[in-house]
Amino acid sequence: MFGLDYSWLSDPVYQDWLLRGTLTTIGLALASSAIAILIGAFGALALSLRIAWLDALIELFVELFRNTPPLLQMLFFYFTLSTIGLRVTDPATGLSVPLLSAFDCALVSLSLFGGALCIEAFRSGLESLPHSVTEAARSLGYSRWARFRRIEMPIASRICLPALTNILTNLFKTTSQASVITVPELMYYAGQIYNDTFRTAEVMLLVLLIYVSLVSLLSWGMSRIEQALAFPGYGKGH
Amino acid sequence: MQWPLTYHEKKRAVQLAIVLALVAWLAADALTGGAANWQRVWLRLPLLLTGSGSGWPLTGGFVLNIFLGLCSMVLAAVMGTLLAFGMMARNRAIRLPCFFIMNFLRNSPWLVLLFAMLYIIPFNVRLFGFSIAVPAFVKAVIGLALPTGANFAEIIRGAVQSIHSGQWEAARAFGYMPMAIYWRIILPQALRRMIPGWMNLYALLMIATSLATVTGIQDVITTLNTLLSMENERVIVYFYIATLFLFFAYCYPIALLARRMEQSVKGDAL
Repeated sequence: MFGLDYSWLSDPVYQDWLLRGTLTTIGLALASSAIAILIGAFGALALSLRIAWLDALIELFVELFRNTPPLLQMLFFYFTLSTIGLRVTDPATGLSVPLLSAFDCALVSLSLFGGALCIEAFRSGLESLPHSVTEAARSLGYSRWARFRRIEMPIASRICLPALTNILTNLFKTTSQASVITVPELMYYAGQIYNDTFRTAEVMLLVLLIYVSLVSLLSWGMSRIEQALAFPGYGKGH
Repeated sequence: MQWPLTYHEKKRAVQLAIVLALVAWLAADALTGGAANWQRVWLRLPLLLTGSGSGWPLTGGFVLNIFLGLCSMVLAAVMGTLLAFGMMARNRAIRLPCFFIMNFLRNSPWLVLLFAMLYIIPFNVRLFGFSIAVPAFVKAVIGLALPTGANFAEIIRGAVQSIHSGQWEAARAFGYMPMAIYWRIILPQALRRMIPGWMNLYALLMIATSLATVTGIQDVITTLNTLLSMENERVIVYFYIATLFLFFAYCYPIALLARRMEQSVKGDAL
């Protein structure tokens, strides 16, 4: 097949590396997605209160993270969190080590990046709610928090599910950049394998295929969720 | 200005306060020893921007990122247009492969695609017996253009499909041929809706050019890493902030402009 040589794939060591890398990638993606969605939800809630000084701060956060490269953000967190003073003394060796591992730095940076995107998406979802819905909830005597939790968020989250799918696939793809700060995920192990076997094109093609299948699976799952949650009048329920 | 302030005036005031606070913080930091650090950044800024210490000739740095972004965007526009027309073709034998390619490219991470191009495109291409070396820059352009092209095609397709079907029917009633309908009726209307999407895509691509550091070209991050190996640990934070600001200063205005355009396009839905 095109003169590609995949004999190295039969080596259990490389299989193990690929599996471990894939699991780390999935773990990083899931964890950062969960935190990003939380940041997005609370950020959008804060924005809906229309407190001027808070909104200015949140908007600054969103624009900063949206308009700078995630790769640079990761490098920034990786190299500066330890120099600014987040260091602990390792009781075993007595050495001063950075408090956050590479994985933690990647998680922090990806969560903030994804959170910024989520705030934007949830905000536009909340804004597209018909006024009549909020009015009706008010007249039924819902408190501000209950209104948000039981009426606005359930409807708004359905409206912005397509946008959320975009963000989550984007986050999943961005995790590959964590290999640059030595997080042992799929891309990192790919580098390890071709350093060993010199089969660069073959390794890269395989890794590309793994990523594409995982991301496709993710967007398929999201569209299933969209269908399952759909109700008349909103999103796919048209 | 009346008291009490409106919501927007308050927000403006706070944004101004944030800027002032930043300036004050920078000044305070400068007075307590940060000035020397900013001095280092200022000294190295030409190198970060142009890749050469005196600011001339242009050999790399952020200028190279801009050039790379522009080249990729041109290539992506050509690829994306072809792909979009392929996806809108009547013939299934053309449409399905184009959909497959588009989905494959959109679901693959930019960094992995870039790496793949780096290793799949040979170092030498033989043309008519001549052997032409393919520079890393060309590989970076192609690697970044692939996912951008797929997104470009999606924007075209989305805009064309958002045109009301009544337009098609009316054009057919007037006796236009299918190609003429596209060229004279549909595309002129859809083009307005594509422009904000393309601008956002360009901003995304500009941000993604930071990945080109893995191809070994002298882009801004490669330059930064070379610089940092010569500087002490305290200065690193200042250099990162400066580099992040470069990207922000370039991409934020584009994003703002795109949002303005989007607002103006929103109104002309039929």
